[in-house]
Amino acid sequence: MAHIHLEDGSFTLFFAVAWWVVALALIGIAIWLLRSRYKPDDKKIIIAAFVTAAAFAIFQVQIPIAGGVHLNLTPLIGILTGPIIGTLIVFIVNVLSAAIGHGGWGLVGANVLVNFSEVLVGYLTFHGMKRITTDLFSQAGVATFAGLFVGNIVMIAIILISGIQGVHQTQSQILAGLSLLAAVNMGVAIIEAFITGFIVAYIGKVRPDILSGEGGRK
Amino acid sequence: MIALKEKKGIVLFCLILIIIAIISLAAFRMTGPMGIEDRYSTAVGLPATGDAGESTGSGFSIEGNPVLYVIVLAVLLAVGFIAYRYLPKPGEGPETGKKE
Repeated sequence: MAHIHLEDGSFTLFFAVAWWVVALALIGIAIWLLRSRYKPDDKKIIIAAFVTAAAFAIFQVQIPIAGGVHLNLTPLIGILTGPIIGTLIVFIVNVLSAAIGHGGWGLVGANVLVNFSEVLVGYLTFHGMKRITTDLFSQAGVATFAGLFVGNIVMIAIILISGIQGVHQTQSQILAGLSLLAAVNMGVAIIEAFITGFIVAYIGKVRPDILSGEGGRK
Repeated sequence: MIALKEKKGIVLFCLILIIIAIISLAAFRMTGPMGIEDRYSTAVGLPATGDAGESTGSGFSIEGNPVLYVIVLAVLLAVGFIAYRYLPKPGEGPETGKKE
């Protein structure tokens, strides 16, 4: 979904490194929190492992809609594991994806930030939705819409701040182009919202304990 | 009361879905079908990936360079190994708080 699909060299070396540094700082904070304050139990680690594998697999599956798109499942990561473990998951998924040529190495940092925003907003919206509804499907569906919408905004912001090398378009032209792209991306969010909604509703029925605690529902 | 609360969620979900579907369809009609990379390249004004024969000149390119791929992967493996081997594992160290 909101995943910067530009080649290495699109960003200057300065910005490629800068986004990496910000992403690594975020990962450092996540690791520190996991070691000091929010030690995950075995159940959470197993869920994280499964979600990582699922997200990596779904990253590589191109759905033939609008010429080809792929899903992320980042809001689902946020809902099931929370934003702290989610930060590590999106980093792993982005590194493994870059290793097989899906996204440039120089863009991993930027993509981690984009995906982190989706995880965080998905998690917060899912919990915020509990005040409005008790229906798990709509909680997760709306959380997915919100997460992916914010992810697209972060993606646009990162590209606008970084600028694209070898391009003579003005910022407003790039913004217009990216806005159209984000709008098409959001169409795919509909599919992702249904998938996430059904998965969360199903888990809520058969294993509600998985949705408890961080990133879950009590 | 619970049924009403459940319906509120579905109504909100459907409302957002309809708005997104309309906007997305309009955007798709403007851009037409394209692959993921082509859609990004077109959006920022880069040549479509199929036409990209020339380098942008000022960039650096790792993509498509097997040697650099191996170097980056080797560095990541080394960092991963060092972190796994030398950093204290959860459950070790002063705060061993494994719960049952």
